[in-house]
Amino acid sequence: MIAAPAARAWPGPRRRLARASAAAGLIVPLSLLVLWQMGAHRGWITPQILPAPDAVWAAAADLWDSGDLQANIAVSLRRVAEGGAAGTLAGLLLGAAMGLSPAIEDYLKPTFLALAQVPSLALIPLLMMLLGIGEALKLVVIAKATLVPVALNTHRGIRAVPADYKEVGALFRFSRAQTLRRIVLPAAAPPIFTGLRYGLSHAWLALVAVELLASTEGLGYLLVWGRQMFQLDTVLVAMAAIAAIGLALDRSLAFGEARFARWRAPA
Amino acid sequence: MPLQGGVIAISGLVKRFRVDGAELTALGGVDLWIAPGEFLTVVGASGCGKSTLLRLIAGLEHADAGVLSHDGAPIAGPSLARGLVFQEPRLFPWLTVAQNVAVGLENAPLSRAEKALAVAEHLTLVGLSAFARAWPHQLSGGMAQRVAIARGLVNRPDVLLLDEPFGALDMLTRARLQDELRAIQQRAGATTVFVTHDVDEAAYLGDRVVVLAPRPGRIREIVDVKLPARRDRADPRLAGVRERVLRALGEDPGYPRPALVADAAWRRPATLAPAAVLQ
Ligand SMILES: Nc1ncnc2c1ncn2[C@@H]1O[C@H](COP(=O)(O)OP(=O)(O)OP(=O)(O)O)[C@@H](O)[C@H]1O
Ligand SMILES: [Mg+2]
Repeated sequence: MIAAPAARAWPGPRRRLARASAAAGLIVPLSLLVLWQMGAHRGWITPQILPAPDAVWAAAADLWDSGDLQANIAVSLRRVAEGGAAGTLAGLLLGAAMGLSPAIEDYLKPTFLALAQVPSLALIPLLMMLLGIGEALKLVVIAKATLVPVALNTHRGIRAVPADYKEVGALFRFSRAQTLRRIVLPAAAPPIFTGLRYGLSHAWLALVAVELLASTEGLGYLLVWGRQMFQLDTVLVAMAAIAAIGLALDRSLAFGEARFARWRAPA
Repeated sequence: MPLQGGVIAISGLVKRFRVDGAELTALGGVDLWIAPGEFLTVVGASGCGKSTLLRLIAGLEHADAGVLSHDGAPIAGPSLARGLVFQEPRLFPWLTVAQNVAVGLENAPLSRAEKALAVAEHLTLVGLSAFARAWPHQLSGGMAQRVAIARGLVNRPDVLLLDEPFGALDMLTRARLQDELRAIQQRAGATTVFVTHDVDEAAYLGDRVVVLAPRPGRIREIVDVKLPARRDRADPRLAGVRERVLRALGEDPGYPRPALVADAAWRRPATLAPAAVLQ
């Protein structure tokens, strides 16, 4: 017998590669930052249009010390958590129902596809009339934004489970429940996870949009407020916070996805 | 040998497929009686219905006409008493090698410990116990096929159906697994239907060799091997079996003729063949 393999999924060289490519990705933003700082200090850009990075940093420190930043982040995160959870749950149920039952697919798919075509932003005016501008509006918009990609990917993932695999189950007399749990679910898990990732990032985008249009708190509101007060440093702090949190949310799900699907061949 | 199950009776078996609106007769009237504990090998040109025949016996397809029965009971669907090794490995990529073999035991009436033991035994049998925790994507094609063989055997079915199981293996592994399979088959007394493209393999393993003819798939000839169960690859009588199988295949213009058959009896019908092959 030849040497036993290490059954580890991600061998060393790939990790090193990932780190190298992450470093490469930092070159552009760091150069821009340096250019921005230089431009601001040499008077190329007026602070009324674009405050210098150190001014933005100072504004961030002020916002942090006053607790405003944390409070607004907490509001935004809570909204995403609530709306996202509702949308994810509904999306998983809807996608699974359409994926597993052709009859349900026939009934619901056209309506669902039509809804999917309407940008979440475009729903806001109508929903404002129905729900007012309270928390319900934000929840519904975020939930809708999450639901669409989750349902779509769940549906497609279940549909794409190879018939060959189900035949193996049939051969060993798997019950319907066994086929679902042992074959359909694991085979569809990677696309479903992809759907969850899209769902979360859509939820975050929808959150900022709805907070821009109709809110008195949250990161989107901070953005609007900063603009109205001509505090561009506040605007930039809010933007940076939105980007950083969005990225962190996506990365954490990507990490979970990689751990979850460790059986997959390195692409 | 004790009285045992594993009789497969097939009569008037017809299977059609619709391909692009046209009807294709994959099997056009097959009659076959397979004795308990018999090792039957099946050869025939690509597309003549070998896999279809196995899938019908397994219960994965339904016949359009005719009857299939296993120990007298009509075959209406898959059964754990009939094991099938597919032409492709069909391993689940999300399960390790050992877990893939255990899939075969999901509905077997065994305890956890018994299942673990059976899985380990069968992995050893196919020479992959060191790879029990590897993922399928880390295996070579031949290794994956061996895992599939272990999964097909792990239930110890009365009837074992194998669809070109050794096609992806190197010669040495292939020879070893041929002998292993014969030994298991002798020990367990499982009725075995073994599809192959390799005439040597068909002759060496089979108690009888079924030669299928294509379009529509039907039995052209059944060659009785009449050799003892313990065989020697160098047995000159095997050459005679091979020759008869090749001659039966040779009547089928779709089957590639081997270049080196130094036998006058083989040459005679071949006057027709070269042109037919080139068509
Ligand atoms: N599910 C199917 N749908 C349509 N046609 C099919 C299907 N399965 C098999 N066929 C057709 O039936 C015929 C026999 O196929 P089969 O797979 O049994 O051949 P085979 O003898 O196993 O060939 P090979 O040696 O290449 O594996 C072929 O013409 C094939 O196109
Ligand atoms: Mg085949």
